[in-house]
Amino acid sequence: MCYLIVGNCAAGINAVEGIRKLDTNSKITVISDENSPVYCRSLITDYVAGTRKKEDILYREKDFYEKNKVDLILGETVKGIDVSKKEVILQKGNSLSYNKLLIASGASSKPLRIKGEEKYGVFGFRTLHDAEEIIKTGEKTGKAVVFGGGLIGLKAAYALKKRGLDVLVIVKSSRLLSRTVNAEAAGILGNWFKENGISIRTGIGPQEFSGNGEIEEVLLDNGEKISVKLVIVGKGVMPNISLVKDSPVKTHWGIITDEFLQTNVEGVFAAGDVAETTDMVTGTGAVNALWTAACEQGRIAGMNMVRKDKKYPGSIGANSADFFGLPFMSVGYAGEIKEGYEELTGSNNPKEYSYKRIVLKGNRLVGFTTINKIENAGVYTALIRNKADISSIRDILPEDYFDYPKVKDLLKGKEGFRESISPQGEIIRIA
Amino acid sequence: MIACAVEQSSTGELFKAISETPLPVSLIEVTTAKEGESFPLQCRHCEEPYCIDACIAGAIRKDPETGLVLSDEEKCVGCWMCVMTCPFGVIRVSLLPDKKGKIAVKCDLCQDRKIPACVEACYTGALLFGEVEDLIRAVNKSKEDRDVLLNSR
Ligand SMILES: Cc1cc2nc3c(=O)[nH]c(=O)nc-3n(C[C@H](O)[C@H](O)[C@H](O)COP(=O)(O)OP(=O)(O)OC[C@H]3O[C@@H](n4cnc5c(N)ncnc54)[C@H](O)[C@@H]3O)c2cc1C
Repeated sequence: MCYLIVGNCAAGINAVEGIRKLDTNSKITVISDENSPVYCRSLITDYVAGTRKKEDILYREKDFYEKNKVDLILGETVKGIDVSKKEVILQKGNSLSYNKLLIASGASSKPLRIKGEEKYGVFGFRTLHDAEEIIKTGEKTGKAVVFGGGLIGLKAAYALKKRGLDVLVIVKSSRLLSRTVNAEAAGILGNWFKENGISIRTGIGPQEFSGNGEIEEVLLDNGEKISVKLVIVGKGVMPNISLVKDSPVKTHWGIITDEFLQTNVEGVFAAGDVAETTDMVTGTGAVNALWTAACEQGRIAGMNMVRKDKKYPGSIGANSADFFGLPFMSVGYAGEIKEGYEELTGSNNPKEYSYKRIVLKGNRLVGFTTINKIENAGVYTALIRNKADISSIRDILPEDYFDYPKVKDLLKGKEGFRESISPQGEIIRIA
Repeated sequence: MIACAVEQSSTGELFKAISETPLPVSLIEVTTAKEGESFPLQCRHCEEPYCIDACIAGAIRKDPETGLVLSDEEKCVGCWMCVMTCPFGVIRVSLLPDKKGKIAVKCDLCQDRKIPACVEACYTGALLFGEVEDLIRAVNKSKEDRDVLLNSR
């Protein structure tokens, strides 16, 4: 048996660990076009902020590949796959054969597709390479403009501010996080950013970047010009699916997977930011491009490459972050109230940056946002994942004293609820 | 629970612990399920922990030998992904000693002690510590028999 994994990040590495749970000997090859051993992609924020050094954002120990008997090929791009020959074709022209293939090629920053975008000084916020270039450019200038008011744009803005730069965030929509939370929550976070010295402007987009090789000026779509040497584009991500373009592997938002994370081609699996799975809240296909999902999918796909019997319960949009000491979380559907939805709020105090909002659809919890009040939030996530009927605990849901014991009977024995006992025993409750 | 908070403190002594900055956080909480039914809530050291998948810093790992779910506090960046995904809500927020930021903290089942501090302090015998098979056998036994069976105290 010979396993081939394209992608050396969250999904790829967890797949290695998944395979090795069940098969300790067969050959595993991991290939990536990046040059570093696996690092925590999400922590490029901390690297740019200056709170973590490059060597401190590695995800696994240096001997990970050796210990797991992995042949690691770095700095090489997979151009395509030939599923009838069971081969992947590399950019260089040579090919590698496999018995089981995992596509864990992740996602890339979405480009703006405007004139001058290729100029030096305009960066995405996705890779260690991006981070290094941003740090280098930041040293030569005191100012940066970030396009995009989603979590990636905000993380970039936060990191650059922490580094000591003046930061202006420019958002095309009328407010921050328009695809993640409601206007009220976005407003609270926006105020916090402003309080921490970040300028935010809304309803404007970029039109053209100009400069002689390096960016010197941005022309905005309202006609205004801003001189700037460092621009970050945080307009979301797109799955890296070009490698399957000329193959029978089907794609939609991402590579379509079944409940075992297999694609429509037998023996070819997909996991992580490149994979489309069923969203637990909407019940439809979605790419939930998140670290948690990539790790879980990677591990399950890896195990299924050895023995196809582990079902993936589906993904959920769930993100959290800490900005200047303020915790922020948003899970499931946390946008404005639509027909058939309701919201519950606790004792919120927006001026003190303290906020909790729970979204219900009928008797189900489908999403929530919390700012500052984060403890026990995982219990809400569990209720969402398990599609639990919350009618009996509805009134106490947003309260600060709400916790797991109040809902234990609603969660017990539910599919996807992974409570279990450690092999070495644990403290258990004997009533 | 006081015994746990003292265990987490840097001095390990109750009267010094209460004046430490930051104040040590208890990693077990005795709360209520319904009125009159108390419930000790602490980390389950899950078989497939959500917190590990969620940890964007790779700080939380499962010890392959003991099965304990352990967090390397040096690596934690305080992103709260683990807090967001733990279905039991048992991961706590703690201030760093220099007060410059916060990290997530969790129960390590007192891996440096023979018996976890909470179990030792629980005089009603509601908390027991041992291998699962032994615990199952210990149910409904007298306190003395239980202690022998679980090799505790
Ligand atoms: C700044 C930032 C902060 C984030 N914060 C969070 C957070 O707080 N919480 C959260 O849940 N998620 C967060 N994310 C998202 C998270 O990092 C991703 O979901 C995760 O990295 C996905 O892992 P993956 O393995 O699927 O793909 P990726 O991490 O994209 O890795 C795929 C790898 O495959 C390589 N590759 C792609 N195509 C090819 C090819 N053709 N040939 C060879 N190699 C190829 C890529 O270069 C890359 O190395 C953040 C992301 C960023 C950028």
